[in-house]
Amino acid sequence: MMFRHLFKLIWNKRKQNFLFLSEILVSFMVIFAVFSFLTFYYQNYSKPLGFDYKKVWSISYDNGLLTKNRDSLNIFYDNLYKSLKAMPQIEEVTYTGANFPYSNSTMSTGLNSNGKKFNPVNSYVVGADYQKVWNIKLVAGRWFLPEDAVTKNKNFIINETLKKQMFGEGDAIGKLIGDYDDKEKMKIIGVVQDIKANGDFWPAGNAMFTRLDTGYFRNNSHILVKVRDGADATFESQLYKFMTNTMKNSVEIQHLSEMRDAKNEVTIIPMVIFIIIASFLIINVALGLFGVLWYNINKRRSEIGLRRAIGASGSSVSLQLVMEAMILATMSLMVGCFFAIQFPLLSVFNIPASVYIVAMLLSILFIYLLVFACSLYPGKQAAGIHPAIALHEE
Amino acid sequence: MLKNYFKIAIAVLKRRKFFTFVSLFGISFTLTILMVTTAFMDKVLSPDYPDLKRERSLYVSSMEYKNTKEGWMNRSDVSYYFFSHYVSTLKNVDKMAISSNPKASNAYVNNKKIVIAYKYTNADYWNVLEYRFLAGKPFSQKEIDNADKVAVISEETRKAYFGDASNVIGRYISADNVNYRVIGVVANVSKTVNSLSGDMYLPYTVSTSDYNKPDLMGPYNAVLLAKSKADVPKMQKEFQQMMRRVPIPKDFDRVYSNADPFFSSMTRRIAGDGANNGKTRVVTIMSIFVLLFLLLPTINLVNINVTRIMERSSEIGVRKAFGASSKTLVYQFIVENMILTFLGGIIGIILSLLAIYLINGANVISNMRLSMNLTVLFYSFIACVFFGLISGVYPAWRMSKLNVVKALKAQ
Amino acid sequence: MIRLQNIKKVYRTDTVETLAINGINLDIAKGEFLSIMGPSGCGKSTLLNIMGLLDEPSKGNIQIDSQDISSYSDQKLAKFRNEKLGFIFQSYHLINDLQVLDNVELPLLYRNSSAKERKRLATEALEKVGLSNRLKHFPTQLSGGQRQRVAIARAIVGNPQIILADEPTGNLDSAMGNEIMDILINLNKNEGTTIVMVTHDENMAHKTHRLVRLFDGSQVQ
Repeated sequence: MMFRHLFKLIWNKRKQNFLFLSEILVSFMVIFAVFSFLTFYYQNYSKPLGFDYKKVWSISYDNGLLTKNRDSLNIFYDNLYKSLKAMPQIEEVTYTGANFPYSNSTMSTGLNSNGKKFNPVNSYVVGADYQKVWNIKLVAGRWFLPEDAVTKNKNFIINETLKKQMFGEGDAIGKLIGDYDDKEKMKIIGVVQDIKANGDFWPAGNAMFTRLDTGYFRNNSHILVKVRDGADATFESQLYKFMTNTMKNSVEIQHLSEMRDAKNEVTIIPMVIFIIIASFLIINVALGLFGVLWYNINKRRSEIGLRRAIGASGSSVSLQLVMEAMILATMSLMVGCFFAIQFPLLSVFNIPASVYIVAMLLSILFIYLLVFACSLYPGKQAAGIHPAIALHEE
Repeated sequence: MLKNYFKIAIAVLKRRKFFTFVSLFGISFTLTILMVTTAFMDKVLSPDYPDLKRERSLYVSSMEYKNTKEGWMNRSDVSYYFFSHYVSTLKNVDKMAISSNPKASNAYVNNKKIVIAYKYTNADYWNVLEYRFLAGKPFSQKEIDNADKVAVISEETRKAYFGDASNVIGRYISADNVNYRVIGVVANVSKTVNSLSGDMYLPYTVSTSDYNKPDLMGPYNAVLLAKSKADVPKMQKEFQQMMRRVPIPKDFDRVYSNADPFFSSMTRRIAGDGANNGKTRVVTIMSIFVLLFLLLPTINLVNINVTRIMERSSEIGVRKAFGASSKTLVYQFIVENMILTFLGGIIGIILSLLAIYLINGANVISNMRLSMNLTVLFYSFIACVFFGLISGVYPAWRMSKLNVVKALKAQ
Repeated sequence: MIRLQNIKKVYRTDTVETLAINGINLDIAKGEFLSIMGPSGCGKSTLLNIMGLLDEPSKGNIQIDSQDISSYSDQKLAKFRNEKLGFIFQSYHLINDLQVLDNVELPLLYRNSSAKERKRLATEALEKVGLSNRLKHFPTQLSGGQRQRVAIARAIVGNPQIILADEPTGNLDSAMGNEIMDILINLNKNEGTTIVMVTHDENMAHKTHRLVRLFDGSQVQ
């Protein structure tokens, strides 16, 4: 009832309130953007990492001077594996494609299942001990075995996300899936837990793992090793010397924990800058709203005095002013939500709708709190207006 | 008259301290963010150590093959062969600095790992780019011809590798387990000069890969220096004509490589491809972003200004009643707003200096040293005027429409 | 109806103490139409504010409708004002952003009557002041006399026992002033509403039952 009265009052003043409304609207959009990012990152952050990176080192090398002869190359890599594995500080060794977790490289392909195309799917080419190096957990089926080299259909492994996309709750093991052109069929032999390869704040996405076969060695230029506790810089320099002597070419050893930090920084630093700018904008807006509301109290002294005279108590006057500000906020929020709801509806950037919905609710809450906080003090001031004085000022 | 306006403006600003504070806060922080951004852009875009001849230079940094029928595309850096075989024949190219992308390698000193990013360069690299030698000298054609294992290192590398040793010339530095004799030390290069920054520079002839392989793609890029600024367009044209003679690789039907001025070479990398330099796209997107960023502070300022004017409606009424025209009042208000904006601008400059000091101190981007120079100040001045006008015009218009009688009646 | 006993009002600022009202005793009977006159600054508005419970006396005792209101809380005072009192001001104090009907409904808003009821009572009140054809206008579209009639409608819509009018004709020419005066007199006669009016105008004052003159905070007649 009071609500309708206030709505009328605001509606009749819509011209004066226009700037106020547009300011809240734009603030809402800014906050919505910030919360969308934060929600997206948080949702991903709260999911398990899916692998251990702590004691893993990557060795990248230039393969330009290695023999091109396939058989000699196989023997070379076989020996290299054995030599590395024989080092007491090394627990596990695997060859890998360039797009191992936290590397800046990506490789993706598409898959066909039941006439439906799944694209993109991160495609990892992995050595036999890849699972042991990363300690990746199997959810179903098994990891690669040596006999997978000679099967009729190429065997491969997918991650949980892709499994859910393809089969929902159903079983995936043993299913035949078409490759990119749907020309060849490949058989799923295992499902592994999702691994967040792009850092803590990004989803695992669809992923598939295929066995690194001998034909791939020509292009191979990355080795992953899992070291034991005693592996220090002295060992690292020995390993480095060993690798440069073996490759006769440039080599780089990196620690995955450092690569992870670098990868996360790429997300965190822009986000921090964005939050700093957004909070500056919001402080700016808050001060502005506060100032305008405060000023409006002075402009409306006579009205407030009158309301007091005809029976409004001090607290009901301050409630009225806070309510007015909240109704104004609601009007802006309705327009803002109309725009914001388009994001989940059109699934912009392919981000789950839940991210946008949560961000929208948080933004609404934030704007209400902001407007409430900004109107509280002016409302209190209004309650303090003495009707006898206010009514005799003119 | 102006002095009078100034007096009134100061009095008005003093009277309503809270509004003045809110306005100044908004203006100064907005300008600070703009200024720091401009300082960063200025750092990236204007000639910076060691690349000081940007006006005379064109940049070649990518090679692109296209199969327009199948939609395939292959993009990479450029081969040494392409530069030595094709580009070196151009008459307008005075000198050419060729260098490879930095490649990381490790060195272990006193049980500490040092990551060294090294580049292979030709001899003219040192003539085109003005590296500041703190000690020693660059390598020359003679060392290149002999494939001598010599290295020019950065100050940072010297410190990391040799510690506080005063003279390192003639000493050996090991990277990829190969020992190189240090012949020069250069001042650090900011990471923002991406294609030229490195920790160690080596003659390209010591590279293990075959730099003369007749392939267009490779790990190199180049800076082409013309004799004078006027020759640059000629050089660009000559480069384009030369590209028509370059044989198109198998499986493809187009080959692109461009000699771009600095800014286009950047936009091409960010948003363009072989055929389009992406300049319009980058400029449009950046302008939209800046406008969006300015929207909120502007609305806020307009809102406050309208409030300030309405609060003074009786003063305005009195002025009008005593013969001030709407025009003079609008003029007065805009002057007032300009004064406010410039006060905000001055605070903004102080805040920017502080922010730049902090950013430089934190070394956010390796070796980047932002500075407040005349260019930055000039753009900030433009931003101030723009901001002051935009936020003052609408309220002033509202004011000019204020009815005298009403204004006098409403206190 | 209203009983004032030895009312004193002192305004204090940091340096000056002003005695606005100095010991006034006044009894106003139910159904009486009283006018208060006096030069500017004699304390008549202060007196009216005290009667209207908008201001507290520094000393003395007020009874309205045999209730001692000196111990009332802000909430209770507000309710009391809303139910028992109606106000009319020299400068109308209408809310310019609300239509006439909404302005008149205002007092009912603070007593939780239904929207239908509010509309009915407000229309009735506006009929009484002869403005039933101006319901949807905004105050700025009306003449001074019309505005004051809206203000009277607002004062009577809640059916108060007492109306306090602070120079209701002060801003109007004599023809309009008389019109307003007639409305007040009829109200007093037909509904038995007690009216206390502050005025500068001898002619208006003589139309009321009793006249009280104030000078420098004291009653002189």
